[in-house]
Amino acid sequence: MSVYLEGVLALMGINILMALSVYAILTTDQLSLGNAGFMAIGAYVSSYLTVKSGVPLLPAILVAALASSIVGLLIGIPALRVKGIYLVMATLGFGEMVRTFFMNFEPTGGAYGFRGPSGATLPLIYGWVLVTIFLFWLLTRSRLGRSLDAVRDDPEVASTVGLHVTLLKIGVFGLGAFIAGVAGALYAHYMFYIESNNFNFLVSAMAVLFVILGGMQTFWGAVVGAIIFSILPEALRFMKDWRLSLYGAVLVSMMIFRPSGILTRETVRNLGERFTGIFRTTRS
Amino acid sequence: MLGSTYSLIAMGYTLVLGVLQMLNIAHGDVFMFGAFLGLTLAFLGMPLYWAILLAMLGAGIISILVERFCFRPLRKAHFLGPLLSTIAFGILLQNVATQIWGSEPSRYPQTTEIAQFQLGPILISSFHIIILATSLFLMIVIDQFVKRTRMGRAMRATSENQTNASLLGVDIFRVFTFTFFASGALAGVAGVLTALVYLQITPFIGIRQGLIGMVAMVIGGLGNLRGAMIGGIMIGVMEVMNDAYFSAGYRDMIIFGIFFLFLMFKPEGLFGTTERQS
Amino acid sequence: MLEVIEVSKNFGGLQALDCVKLHLEENRIYGLIGPNGAGKTTLFNLITGLLPVSGGSIQFQGQELTSLHPHQITRLGIARTFQNIRLFPTMTVLENVLVAQNIHTRSGITSIFEFKAQGDKRLRGEAETLLQQMGLWQKRKEIGSSLAYGEQRRLEIARALALEPSLLLLDEPAAGMNEAETEELLDRIQEIRNAGKTIFLIEHDMSVVMGICHYIYVLNFGKLIAQGTPEKIQANEAVIEAYLGREEA
Repeated sequence: MSVYLEGVLALMGINILMALSVYAILTTDQLSLGNAGFMAIGAYVSSYLTVKSGVPLLPAILVAALASSIVGLLIGIPALRVKGIYLVMATLGFGEMVRTFFMNFEPTGGAYGFRGPSGATLPLIYGWVLVTIFLFWLLTRSRLGRSLDAVRDDPEVASTVGLHVTLLKIGVFGLGAFIAGVAGALYAHYMFYIESNNFNFLVSAMAVLFVILGGMQTFWGAVVGAIIFSILPEALRFMKDWRLSLYGAVLVSMMIFRPSGILTRETVRNLGERFTGIFRTTRS
Repeated sequence: MLGSTYSLIAMGYTLVLGVLQMLNIAHGDVFMFGAFLGLTLAFLGMPLYWAILLAMLGAGIISILVERFCFRPLRKAHFLGPLLSTIAFGILLQNVATQIWGSEPSRYPQTTEIAQFQLGPILISSFHIIILATSLFLMIVIDQFVKRTRMGRAMRATSENQTNASLLGVDIFRVFTFTFFASGALAGVAGVLTALVYLQITPFIGIRQGLIGMVAMVIGGLGNLRGAMIGGIMIGVMEVMNDAYFSAGYRDMIIFGIFFLFLMFKPEGLFGTTERQS
Repeated sequence: MLEVIEVSKNFGGLQALDCVKLHLEENRIYGLIGPNGAGKTTLFNLITGLLPVSGGSIQFQGQELTSLHPHQITRLGIARTFQNIRLFPTMTVLENVLVAQNIHTRSGITSIFEFKAQGDKRLRGEAETLLQQMGLWQKRKEIGSSLAYGEQRRLEIARALALEPSLLLLDEPAAGMNEAETEELLDRIQEIRNAGKTIFLIEHDMSVVMGICHYIYVLNFGKLIAQGTPEKIQANEAVIEAYLGREEA
């Protein structure tokens, strides 16, 4: 496999994880535009552990993701008090806070970045991707998944049928942050070098777009969205210079013509009927 | 001081948010486009004020494109639809700008003589005065416009209730278009002015400046034009103070920290009126 | 079983409820009537914890409710339906009922690993029974909002029953129903009561209220203006005036 292709696939894997991290939080109707912040925490903490403390890669990833999820839970708590557009902006602000923090934090390189983390291979990345996809699949078919659907549909009524809405809404922040943390750790250990600008608003925004364009009704949408829109810039190489502009134009057009995304619940259900079992979203 | 450019950007956000209840994330990139348009015009030898005027126009037109592509088609959809679409549009603008002008920093031509003088620990140039003056002028113009003219009243009516405004005879689509144009024009001016200070611009300056403008809007109070003005100036002052007395590195983190805290604990900002429901 | 003691609720300047006192005993059917805006749904919202009280206390089987969250109150055994039918719009008929059963089992993170949990079989059986009783089993895979109005109401009741409550609060269950449907509804409410539950219902349809309630409370402008058996209420001056006065206005 050429280095170039491997690079594309590696980043695609990271993108899938980032999209899933956004989706996780979106299951409760909370849109987070700051997951790059969680990604950064995962990246820097894991890198510090492996490079400066000699911790092996796998435990480092887990610890880093855990750290990220704790921050996620902490963010989830005040997030309860803010709705809609305010939440979007608050998460955006959070992401920027983390980025600017690491831009100045000397122990992890500050503005010069952090050189050295290594060890992430394509199989490792996709190992994590597949595990995460599997867990989401389980979630969709579980009672917990059903609770999340209810919270997203109508949080007030959800509380009257006995669901602990607050806990669920905070919990998904922790989950999303964990996944983004893993993505960050893998990213760092694949790229050998990270700096704060790798975790800017654009990264958060793209993760959200993957989910929206792929279809926000099921987690498969996030996966498909990440895959297609990671590959698209490469597929457009024949356009040479204008490919990135075309890419942007495609994004905008998608929002106009198919705002519900590529995969809607309907589509997945229909596809599921054909591939009986595996892709089913209903649990009944 | 750059605070006034933040005010202009913040006012642009506020106009769109107030009248259309929508957060236009492409706004920062419209600002960037304004800066580049000014640059191109300046290189063509145009004098400063003409460059600003035409950049305003250009940015306003691009902003109308945002309205047409991101807002109109998605008006009836989930309220976040337009917001997400503007994210995509912003990316598109960045890519187009990179295509046209390259991703390497472009230098702004030095057109006017700069006089400089010292005020305490702060260095002020005549550019700063020009920027402040132009910004203040525009702020007053917009403020009065919204208060006194027919279009201004139409805008206010539309921001209260689109259906009612339309029933009362307001052409809300014209209001949408105009609001976006005005918003973009403000951003365009801010773009040129900022470029005059920084002297180097890249297609990605819109990201940061746009965000700071958003912070200014929130601090001032969502939906409040005057609040946006004041918010921008406050941030500008804060920036200067921070750089002079504290650490320049953590400056942005402090700004975003304030942003976060305001949203969590004082979302109505300093002067906010009613909270706009999404 | 349920004691509402001197409960008041105000919204800013508006006094929605003023020192209301109610006493509900087990296994009876109670009615709550009054003109629109009298505060009936507000009272339900206070009991179920969706709104905080401004004054007074609410006790259920000895437990103080006013400091609890809605999901805790539900777990104590109180379930409700809503005036304007609030089903979960993206979930199927069956899912609406199943999600209500989550309080009976472990439905946290560990639940994602459970495929054939023991409890699950029993619950699914219960869900099927409930839906069969409501005549909705055939349509179990359809989205709730695609059902006819009357069916949606029955689904909401089925969902409330899935919580296995001891007290069931029904908010205008007969609204929008024709005679035949209302008859059926009355039968079902009787069945639920015969199964041992206590029912408290808000209704405007007097045939329903007078038909099955053992005891009725009457609210007007947030105050309790009368209480008693159906016969007493029908003859009560204040009640008649409250309704007639409303019609005139």
